[in-house]
Amino acid sequence: MAARRSRLELVFDILLSIQNKGGKIKPTHLMYKSNLSHKLLNSYLEELIEKGLVNVEEEFVKKRDGPLKTVVITEKGLGFLAEFRRMREFTDAFGL
Amino acid sequence: MLQLHFTPEWFNGWGFSLDTIGLVIALLIAAFSWRIYNMHKENRYAYFALAFVCIAVGFGFKLLTNGIYYFEPIRDVAAGVLKPVAGPRLAFADLFYRAGFFLEMAPWLGGLLLLFFISQKPRERLHKYYELTQIGLFVYLILLISVVSNFTFFVFYLTSTVLLSLIVLNYYKNYLNNGNSNTLRVMWAFMLMLCAHVLFVFVFLWSGLYFFGEVLLLAGFLVLLLTYTRVVAFRGVKRVA
Repeated sequence: MAARRSRLELVFDILLSIQNKGGKIKPTHLMYKSNLSHKLLNSYLEELIEKGLVNVEEEFVKKRDGPLKTVVITEKGLGFLAEFRRMREFTDAFGL
Repeated sequence: MLQLHFTPEWFNGWGFSLDTIGLVIALLIAAFSWRIYNMHKENRYAYFALAFVCIAVGFGFKLLTNGIYYFEPIRDVAAGVLKPVAGPRLAFADLFYRAGFFLEMAPWLGGLLLLFFISQKPRERLHKYYELTQIGLFVYLILLISVVSNFTFFVFYLTSTVLLSLIVLNYYKNYLNNGNSNTLRVMWAFMLMLCAHVLFVFVFLWSGLYFFGEVLLLAGFLVLLLTYTRVVAFRGVKRVA
């Protein structure tokens, strides 16, 4: 059985899923890619928006009742990803 | 004057520069680990930072003691400070050098012990009370060894050799598990330090071994620096499908 992901690892997985989709992703896709429930993803997204790591863009499309939401990674989010990778490399290298 | 190490005379002072480099590298690694601790709030990073701070403190005291021992201007200043306490013949000078050697050894051994614990699996052991009591016992032994080795200095190097051997073994096992080239570099860095400490044990046979030991120790720290720079410059994208 795989170990539980830490809070920071969850944030990393969310941001990585967005980056792997070219920096933009629909919330439903993000939910599947990051392997999180709808409720949990929303709570994490709120936190990430508050910290300026992601933005939510709204687009109005015809034949649709509400706006089309897209989660976009920010420069700060990309910086966090780079920092996290360095941290993980450090952890692997020094056997922590 | 008291002589703690059997060092070649021509090398007196050169070791000073080599140890300064080691100190800076140890502090760099400690600072990065502390930064991760602030981000992650996991104890293992704090312990790792502490281990390298201990090694840096050991280097610091070695530099201080050697600085006073080898450089006349610093020795004169120290003598000036100690004179009112020690009297005109500076009878406590030996005690000062022994204290300096002790303050070099205790943090070094403490740092190596921490590294040994951290590099072992499972990592959860550091959170458990009974493991902490074990660490307490080891700390006592380290202090004991540090005191004893003031009289026969190779006891210190022998102990650090044993600890470094165990650390190298842990890193080798780590490398077998993750196959990471940086882990292999860290293992080689500790291997070089181990070779350095083995040479230090036999310095009483030929003082030239001290020079080779210092060079190997520096090489070990430089390999650590190389690993550190590779980690800091790491930009690799690990895609998760």
